[in-house]
Amino acid sequence: MSDTRAPATAGAIWGDESERRSALDPRQLPDTRHEFTVVGGEWQNLPDAVDDDLMVINMGPQHPSTHGVLRMVLTLDGEIVVDNRPVIGYLHTGIEKNAEYRPWTHSVTFVTRMDYLSPLFNELAYCLAVEKLLGISDDVPERASALRVLLCELNRIASHLVWLATGGLELGSVSAMIYGFREREGILDILEHVTGLRMNHAYFRPGGVSQDVPMDFRERVEVLLTEMPRRIDEFEALLSENPIWVERNTGVGILTREQCFDLGVTGPVLRSAGVAHDLRKAAPYCGIEQYDFDVPTTDTCDAFGRYTIRIQEMRESLKIVRQVLDTLPGGPVMVADPKIAWPAQLALGPDGIGNAKEYIGKIMGQSMEALIHHFKLVTEGFTVPEGQVYVPVESPRGELGYHVTSSGTNKPYRVHVRDPSFIHIGVLPVMSRGLLIADIIAAVASLDPVMGGVDR
Amino acid sequence: MTEVRPTGAGPNRSTEDMSAGEGAKMRDLDVELAVQLDDRLARLRDHLVAAFPGLEVSGFRGELTLVAEPAQLVDLLAFSRDDPEVRCEFLADLSGVHWPGGPRVESAQETTGWPSYATGDEQGRIEVDYILYSYTHNHRFRVRVSVPDDAARLPTATAVYSSADLMEREAWDMFGVVFEGHPNLERILMPEDWQGHPQRKDYPLGGVEVMYKGKTVPPPDERHY
Repeated sequence: MSDTRAPATAGAIWGDESERRSALDPRQLPDTRHEFTVVGGEWQNLPDAVDDDLMVINMGPQHPSTHGVLRMVLTLDGEIVVDNRPVIGYLHTGIEKNAEYRPWTHSVTFVTRMDYLSPLFNELAYCLAVEKLLGISDDVPERASALRVLLCELNRIASHLVWLATGGLELGSVSAMIYGFREREGILDILEHVTGLRMNHAYFRPGGVSQDVPMDFRERVEVLLTEMPRRIDEFEALLSENPIWVERNTGVGILTREQCFDLGVTGPVLRSAGVAHDLRKAAPYCGIEQYDFDVPTTDTCDAFGRYTIRIQEMRESLKIVRQVLDTLPGGPVMVADPKIAWPAQLALGPDGIGNAKEYIGKIMGQSMEALIHHFKLVTEGFTVPEGQVYVPVESPRGELGYHVTSSGTNKPYRVHVRDPSFIHIGVLPVMSRGLLIADIIAAVASLDPVMGGVDR
Repeated sequence: MTEVRPTGAGPNRSTEDMSAGEGAKMRDLDVELAVQLDDRLARLRDHLVAAFPGLEVSGFRGELTLVAEPAQLVDLLAFSRDDPEVRCEFLADLSGVHWPGGPRVESAQETTGWPSYATGDEQGRIEVDYILYSYTHNHRFRVRVSVPDDAARLPTATAVYSSADLMEREAWDMFGVVFEGHPNLERILMPEDWQGHPQRKDYPLGGVEVMYKGKTVPPPDERHY
């Protein structure tokens, strides 16, 4: 900016810059070995390109096939990737820190915004962690647990459908994108009908769920259960035999079993390496052990294997939904302890959903104590015994763990989220070495990272 | 050594300065809180304590925690990975908790909501927790190391578990824990030129300016709700 000469062309600008750079004494330059900033320019002027024939290019954060705002700094030898350094943090919103300054129940609305494609799993893991700290894990009513399982499995299907849609789009299959988002809407409609929101539901609460499901919930899920298997078959018919889909996914993004262990990879990616590990089987939660389902695996270790696993997982999830719906117990949906149970006598009024008229009448007109109790529970919340727990659940992407610390007050002392997407980003350097640029797209898509969960 | 000492993550609570009645009450509470470890975790605990005699063991809600010295951390992790009885192939999580020095809020009073303060340690600490999981044996436990918060240095675990790479970068970014020997200890979530480590409790929060007569919404830790 301080340069007063007005360069005539863009070429002159780049020329000036390289001249200025070469005039500097390299020993006086700051250490830039770990700096990710890449300055553009005429490639023959860039010292890197002349010296060793390697080129560094940025892929993202605005690239349409990097699943949001993932930025990859690729070192290329021609079109072959020599190194891939992911740069993340563009969506960092400090949710973990925010949670430390709100009462325990309020944080549900925060954590549901982390991994926005599987919001219910975030809520589930957080609520299970708080319940474990409180020591009320066994007191959560059966109906609440069953509803949690049911809605989470619906959410898993929706998440896998988005993966199919975006993954398909990235490899050129626009039909997969259209179909994937279309089917997902059907599931989101049900979730909206139950929770009020398509995403970021804040439906699970420590102690249960915020309210019971509507009267026509069963019918709507029945409709979905009859429709969805046919739709999944349609997907398989569309993609499994498609030569482009098969060729671009087979043998791409190889991760062996040992690499998966070492790199902390979980979920469908681990199962594509032949490890039949699923936390729903290994450490069952919410009574999921009483439902019959399989853990699909393959031993192809590649992107195509992950595709087949996700397709089969959707069918397994439908199996679970079917069983939960058939055996859905009645009863309350929140723990009996009024010191923990959020006041949730909700009803639909002319201006949307809110506290039921009878409840408002009681706390405002009849019982002073009820009003005080309501006020204190909503503003101050409940205290949680001092301690630390780690609760993992099997999210659509792998092990989603909540590491929650309490110091004995009404707010979390520390909430750390082990998000599978974050761990999977660390796999990229290993996974993409030696691939072509086009294969990077398929490899990243097969990991299914969600940047909201990566950056938190 | 092998007794199960209940506590959670709190600073080492000393019962000396309490009255006898309160101390007894606290111990009762501890006994109540301590959920017995199941047989498998109890065997695992005995096995690990036999190999590393200096470990302090605690259990809370059925989770096993081993408190190790920073010097023995890498050996313990390598042992946990390679020993056939332990065989933890998977480092599930690595995270920190900051316990600053000086008084801290211990509880809010039932009736008024006013906080009561407990005397914490003189020296602030950062606890770093490693969650290890074994696919072979299906068990999970926590290794905890504690470092002073003004000179937080730990040996890196990247030589044992490659997955520690990103997690240690996050711990450095958020808590300022230096992992010696880490191949690329850079900020990961915050921008490269960021000052300070946001997850520490002494990190200033800052309020929000509102466009009304120069008013400011105070930072969350100073709001009265």
